[in-house]
Amino acid sequence: MEEQEITSSNAGSSVKVETGDAWQRLAIIAILYFSARNIKNSAQGLIYIIPALAIGSNVLSKLNSPEAYIAIGTLVLLAVGSGLVSFFMYTFRVHNQHVEIQTGVFQRRYTNLPFWRIQNVKIEHPFYYRPFGYALVVLDTAGSGKEEANIVAVPVSYANALRKQVLAEKKKEEYSSAHSFSNLNESSVQSPVKKSDQSTPEHLSSDNGAAHFGTLAGDMLEKKKLERDMLENDSAESEEVLNTRSIGDIVIHGITNNRVWIILGAAAPFYDDAIGLVSDWLADKGLQLNQLVGEQTVAWWQFGLYAFVILMMIMAAMALLSVGGALFTFYGYTLSRSDDRYIRRSGLLNKQEVSMRASRIQMITAKQDWLDKILKRVNLYFEQNSTAGQQVQELMSPNKLIVPSVTEQEAVELSQEVMPDCQLHRDDYLSVSKRFILHWLIVAWSVPILALFIVGIVSSQLDIFLGSIGLLVAGGLLLTLRWWRWGIAADGKYVYVRRGRIGVDYLCFEPYKIQQVIVKQSVFMRRHQLASIKFVLASGAVTVPFLPEHYVKALADSVLYEVESTRKSWM
Amino acid sequence: MFSASKAAEFSNEPLSQQNLPALDLLALTPVSKKYRTINLGVCSTVTVLLLGALSVAKYQPWFRVPDDLHNAYPYACLVIFTLGFLWFTYHFFADKKVKFAVREQDVSKESGLFFRQLSCQPILRVQHVELKRGPLDRWAGLASLQVFSAGGEMHTFEIPGLEIDEANQIRQFILDHKDVSAR
Repeated sequence: MEEQEITSSNAGSSVKVETGDAWQRLAIIAILYFSARNIKNSAQGLIYIIPALAIGSNVLSKLNSPEAYIAIGTLVLLAVGSGLVSFFMYTFRVHNQHVEIQTGVFQRRYTNLPFWRIQNVKIEHPFYYRPFGYALVVLDTAGSGKEEANIVAVPVSYANALRKQVLAEKKKEEYSSAHSFSNLNESSVQSPVKKSDQSTPEHLSSDNGAAHFGTLAGDMLEKKKLERDMLENDSAESEEVLNTRSIGDIVIHGITNNRVWIILGAAAPFYDDAIGLVSDWLADKGLQLNQLVGEQTVAWWQFGLYAFVILMMIMAAMALLSVGGALFTFYGYTLSRSDDRYIRRSGLLNKQEVSMRASRIQMITAKQDWLDKILKRVNLYFEQNSTAGQQVQELMSPNKLIVPSVTEQEAVELSQEVMPDCQLHRDDYLSVSKRFILHWLIVAWSVPILALFIVGIVSSQLDIFLGSIGLLVAGGLLLTLRWWRWGIAADGKYVYVRRGRIGVDYLCFEPYKIQQVIVKQSVFMRRHQLASIKFVLASGAVTVPFLPEHYVKALADSVLYEVESTRKSWM
Repeated sequence: MFSASKAAEFSNEPLSQQNLPALDLLALTPVSKKYRTINLGVCSTVTVLLLGALSVAKYQPWFRVPDDLHNAYPYACLVIFTLGFLWFTYHFFADKKVKFAVREQDVSKESGLFFRQLSCQPILRVQHVELKRGPLDRWAGLASLQVFSAGGEMHTFEIPGLEIDEANQIRQFILDHKDVSAR
């Protein structure tokens, strides 16, 4: 084993990052961390018990009793004990450019994390670590937020050295992958003109033109590398502005993104009539709203009216807020490109700058809801990797670079800027099978509709009976719309998905960026030679159901082949 | 369907006898039979324990159970028994269908009774690998292999019920793979 020594950035002394073959224990101070963590975890669980305790007995009066002291003492002892056990069950080693961690008391967990898979190194300094010069190292993989690896207590100098080495490794990896990439004859860097010559959908063998394109690709990569070097040298980069949004565009965006409120607002004059109708209908069925509200001084309809007036005011405020929010976020919006980065600048008071490397874009999504369709606008998203469970507000999210309410033509131009030659609006989308409608009608809709239908017949109430029919028609209509929209297409370079109900979304991604492919088939689908395909990308999963089985299998094989044969990085 | 510029150098031989990189031709191996036995054991034990607890509560001499609960006893037993039976039946048939395959470039798993699902995880995209072993797994000498990609937690690729040696072998194979470990 070759041990490496690196120099800590601040101390100037050399810190050995490699720990060797032997498993290491953490610094003693880690017991404090584990105890604190365990107390925090149990406290979170105990929150639910507090009301029960408070109701069950007068807690305050018993707080001074010896029993309370014993209970608190036991809890503290348990926490410290569990911290001690956690400490002894935790071992780690940094060995051969891998971080390995063994942890857990009942459920042992072994984590092995190679340096070059680590996306981000965070160093945290809990207050009780600071006087002793220790730190917590959080190693973040792009895999999953919850599965990140923590080295709980190491000296600050070691933490810094580890971070430095991991980041250096990452840079080296990026450079070497770019280098090996230049040796490949990549289709994605071929010139668009040449590309069209060989864009037949099935070409699984290499062709004669590949060698020529290889040189071309090599040249282009050399140029790219040079550009990157220039960027690293902090030279002033020339930025090209790709798109700007006027105040009008942003107001449109604010309005179109609050469609529900608008509908509810527009329907306001009819609320009173609607309540009347509903109440009559309910009274007819033997239900009195007056009894339900139970208010003697104010008539129930007055009460209802007040409620709706308040609701309307809230809605109006929400609509205004939406426009205001859009203005705050997107005022002075510019999308520009600098070398291999896209930069979005916007904001009224707080100028916000989100930058995204072009290679990090996993997928383009062009979303058009019904109101967008009427106004001929499109919300365009460039989606980066997102960690599941991470709840970031969509507009502010650094993982999604949004271009709000662009025109249809601009959407096409921008998508082609990011993914050259991509054709979102194409006529060769393969529709999903009509059995999709039947399947969902049977699986999801049949039981409630049938129940309503039977109730209608048994109680011989015509309106319930008609209601069930109406529900069936509405459900069928929605499913038909969904079926009509849903489709998939693939050319030599991209996979396209179209979906939606009343609105329509177009998705486009490069097959080599796929993380996982899942083929699903129910018994019913197998009988009809149908299957669903799910592509898992770093930005999320995309499913297309009820496609011909042979197509799904060919597509899955072809996509896997693209990932595994090109060996291109997804980032 | 997509460009195939490196076809000559590319190979994705299944580790068994097949030679075409098609998911259709995967040589799938079932997971350990002990996996099913454990699951069936857990179903039976939980059902019996719940029924036992109900019966003890009904027939114990220490305190009086309200009449309503007394009367509900047969129905509660019936519900628990039915759910337990369905759970048992599902595992009885479904666990046999959990299969996996390892090829040069990817790991695949097939599972599901009514909805068959075949997931394929290219090793190139693997972020890290974990072996998960609960107390029962350790007792039976089994392990679950978890493979994490950038697809997120929801799409963690997991093969349950592997013999520990086999799980370690696959883990090592993934770690040693040139796309994961090669520098």
